[in-house]
Amino acid sequence: MSRDQSFSGGRKYSNDEITVYWKPSACIHASYCYRELLEVFDPGRRPWVDMKGASTEKIIETVNMCPTEALTWKWNEEAKNQPVGSDQSNHIRFRRPELLAQDANAPEENPVTIKIMNDGPIVLKGDFSLAYSGINKDFREAIVSICRCGASEHQPFCDGQHRKIGFIG
Amino acid sequence: MEETKSGKSKTIIEVIDSGPLKITGNIVLKDFKRDKEIPMGEVLLCRCGKSSDKPFCDGSHKNK
Repeated sequence: MSRDQSFSGGRKYSNDEITVYWKPSACIHASYCYRELLEVFDPGRRPWVDMKGASTEKIIETVNMCPTEALTWKWNEEAKNQPVGSDQSNHIRFRRPELLAQDANAPEENPVTIKIMNDGPIVLKGDFSLAYSGINKDFREAIVSICRCGASEHQPFCDGQHRKIGFIG
Repeated sequence: MEETKSGKSKTIIEVIDSGPLKITGNIVLKDFKRDKEIPMGEVLLCRCGKSSDKPFCDGSHKNK
């Protein structure tokens, strides 16, 4: 079942297991959602989210790639929700409980995954410290997108400009 | 490389003003377009879009 309902600040979409929350004002058009999972996230369709398009696991994986709080998700069964990684005060991500248990046994510092997206940004994922413009910030279980085309208006972060300028790289 | 309280190495990422992204530490790099060797220790990634050795910096940002 796929429902499309409003909540304060956006819309929410549910299947039998989870609800995905979309806050359009927070979207920076990093475009991981529809690049990773067009079957669910299709900007050209109304409603643009179809919760029947993929498995719950795949939807969670894709929503977790969202570099801002534009896309978040929760289990429908409230007791299963356990907040993790609240480095952004208004952004609480939820994980499957079995993954949380794995994290507890994992070494404190995991390798940081650096993804170079096709014609897109550098995506940093994991635990790291980031220094930019005189700021030094520790990130934990974070996903941060860094501009690679040089055209972002929110440097050093990606704001989706690479698509507008037709960046190839 | 900075050591954390647990003694494990910490990954440090530095955005160099008008320059590349400098990454030092324990990383896994995945380039979806190219098959490039991952240098150990320190990586400099292009941020200006002009490098001819993408995803790495080749100093092209200095040329106007």
